[in-house]
Amino acid sequence: MAHPSQLGFQDATSPVMEELLHFHDHTLMIVFLISTLVLYIIIAMVTTKLTNKFILDSQEIEIIWTLLPAMILILIALPSLRILYLMDEISNSHLTIKTIGHQWYWSYEYTDYENITFDSYMTPTQDLMPGQFRLLETDHRMVVPMESPTRILVSADDVLHSWAVPSLGIKMDAVPGRLNQTAFIVSRPGVYYGQCSEICGANHSFMPIVVEAVPLKYFEDWSSLMLQDA
Amino acid sequence: MLAIVRKQLRSHPALIPLFFFIGGGATMSMLYLARLALRNPDVCWDRKNNSEPWNKMSPTDQYKFFTVNMDYSKLKKDRPDF
Repeated sequence: MAHPSQLGFQDATSPVMEELLHFHDHTLMIVFLISTLVLYIIIAMVTTKLTNKFILDSQEIEIIWTLLPAMILILIALPSLRILYLMDEISNSHLTIKTIGHQWYWSYEYTDYENITFDSYMTPTQDLMPGQFRLLETDHRMVVPMESPTRILVSADDVLHSWAVPSLGIKMDAVPGRLNQTAFIVSRPGVYYGQCSEICGANHSFMPIVVEAVPLKYFEDWSSLMLQDA
Repeated sequence: MLAIVRKQLRSHPALIPLFFFIGGGATMSMLYLARLALRNPDVCWDRKNNSEPWNKMSPTDQYKFFTVNMDYSKLKKDRPDF
């Protein structure tokens, strides 16, 4: 989940998010280097007493400041395109979960084997237990087996919503009448939070998403429990 | 026109990298666009003979330009026919 005054991304929980993190680090470093260089040049220009009223042009420096930015841009573009194609790859998912956005809660359906369906409402602030996170906790979590490719089909019941879990690197719009597909693999067990990412009315900020990744055996226990409760 | 450009390039060699990158970028974009137009199964040129190319793809077809981890030749068909 996000921390107060957090500046960077949340820790990556899926291989795709790791790649995105590394790419962001790479590109941000380039951006910092360029900005530092420009700042230094500006300060040097502004604080010097040297003048030259007769400079007309200079071929050498023009070559350098054409070649260097082009090289830098290529250095940024190649990893970027690689990640783009990586994110689009089709995986052989072991589990398909449907998530439907409503005003103002998410509902999850696990219908591969049996029919497990449940709604996930935000826990109101006055009902939080000590240690729980305000505006992020829900009554039912989407439980997912870890290290297993999972497919999510996202849609909506009424207005536009968006299913987003930052630490998995996923954001997929929930459009009424449309099925959007995304897939992920959770690398480690844990609880991962996200929030609805498309304005959908009064309680748009109050319909969070909680993904709980557990070993397969616990996932099976959980599904049996959910079937009994239903 | 080319002769004029060549004469100007001799006195301003800094323009050579410019031509190279802009020309290269434009060429690559046009080539990719052409690839999309001709190879993309979502595009239909011949409504009579090849009306729905997206329905004629096999599991081993790779229509994307580049794959990182996927080996399309190993995929098998496990879905029913349309």
